[in-house]
Amino acid sequence: MLPDQIIDRWLPQFRKGLLEFIILLKLKQDMSYGYEIASEIKNLTSIEVAEGTLYPLLNRLKRDGLVTTEWKTEEVGTPRKYYQITESGIETLDKMKIIWTNTHSSVLKMVMQS
Amino acid sequence: MTLQFPIKSETSKKIWHGFERELNHKLKPLPESERDDIKMEILSHLYESALNDKADAEEERIINAIDRLGEPDLYLTPLISDILQAQSAAKGNPKAIAKSLIVTTQRSLLHLFLTAIFGFGYAVSMIIFIMGIMHIFNSDVGIWLDNNGGLLSLSFAFQPNAVQWMPEQFSFIAITVSAFAYWGLSKLLYVLLLKPNKSARK
Repeated sequence: MLPDQIIDRWLPQFRKGLLEFIILLKLKQDMSYGYEIASEIKNLTSIEVAEGTLYPLLNRLKRDGLVTTEWKTEEVGTPRKYYQITESGIETLDKMKIIWTNTHSSVLKMVMQS
Repeated sequence: MTLQFPIKSETSKKIWHGFERELNHKLKPLPESERDDIKMEILSHLYESALNDKADAEEERIINAIDRLGEPDLYLTPLISDILQAQSAAKGNPKAIAKSLIVTTQRSLLHLFLTAIFGFGYAVSMIIFIMGIMHIFNSDVGIWLDNNGGLLSLSFAFQPNAVQWMPEQFSFIAITVSAFAYWGLSKLLYVLLLKPNKSARK
């Protein structure tokens, strides 16, 4: 198998775990809706994602009680479904941050040594 | 729906309604409240995404926004399956459990079907290849036709009342054809099952 093919297989798995973490980080800053979350992920990270794939992730976060949702319609504009992080979501995010920081440092060390 | 998402051109409306129909069709397994909620959320995303697109024509902006969302199956299948599984687990309803299992296994069944077809194809091409090699040492191995010219059998032994098909060239043809078939099946298998989905990479 060629390196590019291996990367094609590895990248979606890598992204999936990372996206849940990024979504919670974004929602910790402020409540947000699907399109805004997708745009921010695109603007702030180099992660390219089919925007629709965020919705199964958001649904799972909601099902697990990490976020709640609320429909809002501005006077002028489209109806938006806002996601807000819960106490349980914040607690989970804090644990994710510790895992991320520890893993990131060790992986970075290995990358620098390789 | 049109009032919530004001679209001007007729072509754009057709594209929009086409996409909405596709959502309605794919979301059918869900209860109405869940279906409306997801549809509204996806359409809201689509509208806002189209509104912020840089293309001049409205229809082009909508097409680009649909493209950015990715293949509907890519995000709706896991979404539907998750919701149905959660509901069926909560209710313990056998009908709901069956419904969620159908959605989850639809793709697996397709893969299973393709695997069976490819398995048969690989088996036949390998048998023909082996026969091609064996024919070099035993000229009775080959394809035998009945006296009317119809196919009788692939055989490893002499067949009475039958004529062997192209005994002189059989090894060459069998080895070449089976090698090409093996290569072709492998390419097809890669494209259909193993090649990463472009949408998934986006």
